[in-house]
Amino acid sequence: MIDKTLAQRSAGAVLECEVNGRKIAIETPPARRLLSILRDDLGLTGTKRSCEIGRCGACMVLIDGKPRNSCLTMAYQCSGRSITTIEGLADEERLHPVQECFLEEGGYQCGYCTPGMIVSVKALLDDTPDPTMEQIEEALTGNLCRCTGYGGILRSVARAIERGGEAT
Amino acid sequence: MAMEEKERLRSPSVWLPRDPGEAVRLKEAFGGDAVYVAGSTLLRTQWEAGTAPVPAHLIDLASIPGLDRIEETDDGLVIGSLARLRDCAAHPAAAGKAPLLVSAVKAIAGASVRNQATLGGNVVYRVGDSMPALLALDAELIWHDGRTEETIGAAEWLAGPSARPGILTAIRLPDRESGMTSNRRRWFAFHKVGRREAFVPSLVTVAIAASVAPDGTIADIRIAAGGGQTVPRRLTDAERLLAGRIPDAELLEHVYDAALEQYAPAPDPFAADSYRKRTAANLIAAELWKSLREPDRAGKGDGDASESID
Ligand SMILES: Cc1cc2nc3c(=O)[nH]c(=O)nc-3n(C[C@H](O)[C@H](O)[C@H](O)COP(=O)(O)OP(=O)(O)OC[C@H]3O[C@@H](n4cnc5c(N)ncnc54)[C@H](O)[C@@H]3O)c2cc1C
Ligand code: FES
Ligand code: FES
Repeated sequence: MIDKTLAQRSAGAVLECEVNGRKIAIETPPARRLLSILRDDLGLTGTKRSCEIGRCGACMVLIDGKPRNSCLTMAYQCSGRSITTIEGLADEERLHPVQECFLEEGGYQCGYCTPGMIVSVKALLDDTPDPTMEQIEEALTGNLCRCTGYGGILRSVARAIERGGEAT
Repeated sequence: MAMEEKERLRSPSVWLPRDPGEAVRLKEAFGGDAVYVAGSTLLRTQWEAGTAPVPAHLIDLASIPGLDRIEETDDGLVIGSLARLRDCAAHPAAAGKAPLLVSAVKAIAGASVRNQATLGGNVVYRVGDSMPALLALDAELIWHDGRTEETIGAAEWLAGPSARPGILTAIRLPDRESGMTSNRRRWFAFHKVGRREAFVPSLVTVAIAASVAPDGTIADIRIAAGGGQTVPRRLTDAERLLAGRIPDAELLEHVYDAALEQYAPAPDPFAADSYRKRTAANLIAAELWKSLREPDRAGKGDGDASESID
């Protein structure tokens, strides 16, 4: 069997991290997917479940500010990290500017891809406030939309860039 | 969704080794019940598809400090196996020393997957899109068997058995030209063709690295092709035709034929072998043709570029 010094080095049953600015400690198997933790354990159902293999982007969240597919991420990989979901973008008073732009420009139809889309756009604009078309396409390659044909989405992104993260 | 209930019932334990030796000892202790995990992006796909069982134990290589380092050395570039694809693509030393690898890495999956996936995971996959580029760059793989390190050429490793004991710790890109007083130009091209333009599994992936004398003579060239489940390999017949020559239209016809002949794609359910062979040969001939017509083209387009190395 395995020796004791090795045994001390396994991931524990409690995940400690930050979700939308709040420190949490939650009992969970270390290989449980972040997607399940968010939706089923924490009730944060804005993060959507669809392909479950990293191909659609409906489950996109930010981990330490970078977009990540929560369906590909396990609990132990979130230890000590800061996670932001779609629910964490708006403050008490109002929506995040990117959310407002999606509303104003009709950046969605059924809305299923929208939380993931908005999370990816937020990460892009935090990093690159004035992206080129190529950078926008690059940042959104992992987010698929079956409804809009992307026209409304690109319009929303253009508007968000114009506003430069400011509220109107 | 099936994953959902299973997740709670039989979630594997996750081990966090502190160094390569500890990782290998854990694997030796658990044998077939354990797998090494880097970014877990490929493993997750395999678990969901049912092509690999969820094991009882995961050995997390990301917990080993320093394995994700990217370092420029006197004679090349060393990329830790745990370096995220995103960091490989963004690292200034990689852009300077291995623009071909940067092009290849940027063609893997989408940005969010690259924030998590590692170069080592892509290499151990064997059919990953970085592999043709690593073959063209004559990369070396550094493995740790729990006691010592061993360096093995990427081509040699691909020719061997897929299950190798130990862990991959780093990928070394030797600077073949260093120390040489040369006014040769370094030239490279990378192309991945799939069923859509981006974020797609490849049908054909081609990588070329060459050094070219001022008069256009190809001093040294390596061409590699993979795609889909094809284990990438060098197209040595085409390389031999080109070495020491200034390519022209006639030579490129022979190069096309040689590539068509030697590239042997693993079967794909939706694309005929003949189509993929023609695609690979066309891409190679077209890239070489472009390099003749636009010798100074640098870093534009689909990842082909040239630069001086004097
Ligand atoms: C949506 C999606 C799209 C993708 N698109 C592409 C694509 O376009 N091109 C492409 O090439 N791949 C693609 N992949 C596959 C995969 O993401 C990449 O190959 C990735 O680089 C794998 O790295 P990882 O760190 O996630 O590997 P992991 O999944 O952690 O590991 C992969 C395998 O390698 C082993 N392993 C990992 N690191 C080591 C090591 N250091 N030593 C020994 N064994 C090790 C593991 O045991 C496992 O068997 C895609 C995956 C997804 C989910
Ligand atoms: S559900 Fe995660 S990418 Fe589709
Ligand atoms: S709005 Fe329906 S999938 Fe995008």
